[in-house]
Amino acid sequence: MGESEDARGVRSLSARGLGLAREGRNVLDGVDFAIEAGAIACIEGPSGCGKSTLLRVLATLLEPTAGEVYLEGVAAHAIAPRTFRRRVAYVPQQAPMLEGTVADNVAAGPRLRGAQPTPTRVEQCLALVGLDGAFAARPASELSGGERQRVALARALANEPEFLLLDEPTAALDTRAAERILERVRALAREGLGLVVVTHEPTHAAALGARRRTMHAGRLREGEG
Amino acid sequence: MSYVEVPLTRLALVALLVAIAALVSRRARLDLEGSIAWAAVRGAVQLLAVGYALRLLFAYEHVLSLALALSVMTLVAAWTAARRVEHAPDRRALFWPALAAITAGGVVSLVPVFALVITPTPWYSGRYVIPIAGMMLSNAMNVVALTLERIFASARAEAPRIEQLLALGASPEQALHAQERAALRAAMTPTLNGLFTVGLVALPGMMTGQIVSGIDPKSAVRYQLVVLFQLVAVAAVAGWVAATLSRRMLFTSREQLRPF
Repeated sequence: MGESEDARGVRSLSARGLGLAREGRNVLDGVDFAIEAGAIACIEGPSGCGKSTLLRVLATLLEPTAGEVYLEGVAAHAIAPRTFRRRVAYVPQQAPMLEGTVADNVAAGPRLRGAQPTPTRVEQCLALVGLDGAFAARPASELSGGERQRVALARALANEPEFLLLDEPTAALDTRAAERILERVRALAREGLGLVVVTHEPTHAAALGARRRTMHAGRLREGEG
Repeated sequence: MSYVEVPLTRLALVALLVAIAALVSRRARLDLEGSIAWAAVRGAVQLLAVGYALRLLFAYEHVLSLALALSVMTLVAAWTAARRVEHAPDRRALFWPALAAITAGGVVSLVPVFALVITPTPWYSGRYVIPIAGMMLSNAMNVVALTLERIFASARAEAPRIEQLLALGASPEQALHAQERAALRAAMTPTLNGLFTVGLVALPGMMTGQIVSGIDPKSAVRYQLVVLFQLVAVAAVAGWVAATLSRRMLFTSREQLRPF
């Protein structure tokens, strides 16, 4: 998995034997997973099956009780958490907006490490998610659900990650807004980003041309499961 | 200047004031009569006991007896502060951070003052150290309880936001900054308000006591100022230490927000 891909020089995010037990229940049960740069993986499954938990473990925000996450074949434990998270971005379902304007939100990641992105860079990030530069000055608290989701995506991209983990990116969005997000996801993959999309919507995998995996009771299976 | 003693018989008379409160409670159906009676009895017994203990302490002045008294006071303050916190990952584990925070606040506010400002002979004179330390420790206790409660409650309520910041590459300190700041500001506000309104709303306790016992108000004011400035320091230091230690409890060594 991770190591062999690394040897071929392909960027990969993988996991082996992930387990997570909570209150006597296996939320994750021996999950193996791998994705390469430029690919999209869809993880489907009913709510409570562990797919969001898997995403948080892949983002190193949650510690698995068994197994390990690898970035380019290197165990996540051997990488400083902040470095790992800049390389593997995570956008939760209905990502919370931070105080200030859209520009403040987009600049948040770089600012956390003392960098100050230029207005042009902020506009570039907004353009990546199909938002106009004029959006930058708007207060983040006044955005619609779809706009928030796209700003959250732009905010994650401002760190220039290699992989992007998206939890239900189209939840609570109308069809038009959802289509726009999916379109952006496809575009990002074409630009070389590896994307993992958790969704309960069975049409997304086909729409994204993604490899399909199904999660059930903490186990991950190829295809529709 | 004369000093008016309160004989025990007259002290008993004041208990009638408590009876008035109990009557009000019954009349308004507050259902507080039991609590009022219990609080009055407990308060009276505690204070009378403390009166005798202090008398003993002042009569046999010794570094060790002072150290023992201060230790008991600090331990009780830490235990009380930790017990009052409702939202915490592990309430039993809160005693040690509370103890560290209260001790730090106590040391910072007391040592310089007794070394340089109020210099009794001997320096371990309980008559000076115990009452002032009591005020510091009790303020530290309240600040620590408020800080811990608020940080843990807001960390739980705002977990998605904290985790989002971590995901963007924030350190635990950066991710929790807003919650820590709000908690510390809230915990320090009563102390600062006390400083702003001192003398305008009420005369502070220490000054009141000194004036009643016949000290020139000019001297009493100086002592009170020392105490008020100490209280600000104790609030800031104890709160800051409590916030820092609670952050350590909230995050794992892998910079993950602990589920609780």
